[in-house]
Amino acid sequence: MKQHLLTSAYHVEILPPKQETEKLYEDLDRFSSKFERVMESGYCACITDNAMGNLAFQGTELIEELELDPGRNQVMIHLNTFHTKADLHRILDSCKAAGIRQLLVITGDGSDRLPRLTPAEVGAEGVEAVTSVELLRYIAKTYPGDFDLGVAFNPYEPEDHEFAKLDRKIAAGATFAITQPIIERHPVVDKLLERYPDLPVVVEAWMSKKISLLSEAVGYEIPEDTPYDPIENLKTLHRNYPQCEIYLSILGFKTQYPLLEEIRN
Amino acid sequence: MRIVVCVKQVPGTHDAKIDPETKRIIREGIKVVINPFDTYAIEAAVQIKEKIGGEVIVLSMGPSRAVTVLREGITVGADRGILLSDRAFGGSDTWATSYALSRAIETIGDVDLVICGKQAIDGDTAQVGPGIAAHLSWPQATYVMDIADINSGSLTAQRMHEDGWDLCLVKLPAVITVVKDINQPRVPTLKGRLAAEKQEIPIWKAADIEADPELLGLNGSPTRVVKTNPPQGRTKKSVVLDGPVEQSVRRLVQELRQRSLV
Repeated sequence: MKQHLLTSAYHVEILPPKQETEKLYEDLDRFSSKFERVMESGYCACITDNAMGNLAFQGTELIEELELDPGRNQVMIHLNTFHTKADLHRILDSCKAAGIRQLLVITGDGSDRLPRLTPAEVGAEGVEAVTSVELLRYIAKTYPGDFDLGVAFNPYEPEDHEFAKLDRKIAAGATFAITQPIIERHPVVDKLLERYPDLPVVVEAWMSKKISLLSEAVGYEIPEDTPYDPIENLKTLHRNYPQCEIYLSILGFKTQYPLLEEIRN
Repeated sequence: MRIVVCVKQVPGTHDAKIDPETKRIIREGIKVVINPFDTYAIEAAVQIKEKIGGEVIVLSMGPSRAVTVLREGITVGADRGILLSDRAFGGSDTWATSYALSRAIETIGDVDLVICGKQAIDGDTAQVGPGIAAHLSWPQATYVMDIADINSGSLTAQRMHEDGWDLCLVKLPAVITVVKDINQPRVPTLKGRLAAEKQEIPIWKAADIEADPELLGLNGSPTRVVKTNPPQGRTKKSVVLDGPVEQSVRRLVQELRQRSLV
């Protein structure tokens, strides 16, 4: 994992086409071209899993059906707890077959149309619901050594609580962490790097100009007219966290993507 | 076994507008989705097919854009879809709609079982399933929460009601309507969706199902919509965890863990 983090420049989030799309082929083409562009750049494509509870196609099935080349450890699949056990294994087996090692294991956002793993299905005892911790433990046990398991780290949550949660995640098999979007610098991320010097940490950069969309993530209202320059923030994150890779969410492929190589260098 | 699943395209929004003249929902330009209860009906049919074999046909009545809900059905395991779309169907109430659907079911032929969602979320009448059964003179079981057994001649179903459930033996052919408790609909796959996109969906007009024009549209509708109001938007709700402290704390922890807050 450490080796990957040192060789793959950016983690670029790509949202898969939504299930409800009426322009399926157009959306698939758009997904393919973004994916291939990330592969050509030598970056890592991070494919979300029904983000915000919106039903979308799975990353592994997109790679299979569209015959995309996942490169050498250049794909990260997000995986949440809202699956049937059979679907979970289908995804994990597909990842393994395609040589995809990186999984971001999260609890996720459900919806009425999504099933959810039960504690009994993942061999979890004494819990009411499956969270990322139980899912991590199950994957680590069922597929030993097959995956690098990443987890989310939210510096906007109460600090003690978040570090305790991270400890549980690491004990369950997590080998790297990705933060929530960081604006310039966050003291809790600094503490994270200090306390866990051997844990690879990927810092998320919010690439949309609409910073108000982060209100829910940070837990307070950000006014809609708040000025924000995502490119400047990305440069600042590179300066402040030179030891970390950067995860790019809501990246503009037309205008922002061509600037990445220059910013990195 | 040949199973027909009746599905409906409904507004996927709480901001639906009502036409002041016709008192009906303005469907143009709004997001539309498959009626959520119908997804359980499709899953029930596909599970029966997987268990005992047969064919699942999804059937809908509506404008041409309603083919998308039929493709959704094919994506998750239905074999084919048929859309009833004709000006003659316009203005049909639940009785005229169930007449048209029943004519389509007879035209398909050799149908053993019709499955509907318990109701559509736009009209909320729960009348079309029973209406189809009445037009076909077939037995029916509504609010089915489990199909305990099914064979070529009959099915055993649990019917949900306020005080529990009934166990019913229903002779086939029959109509059933299903509630959410019956199953967990499978998540559509890309492979299924791509296959569904390639399928031709036949569009049948009133003449194709040999329907009596007097029993369709406004002519065939014994009811008139006098007034319609859009539903109130959902608001955040508070939950009071009463009862013994220990039990309330357990419930609170469970709720928080399910939201990944602790």
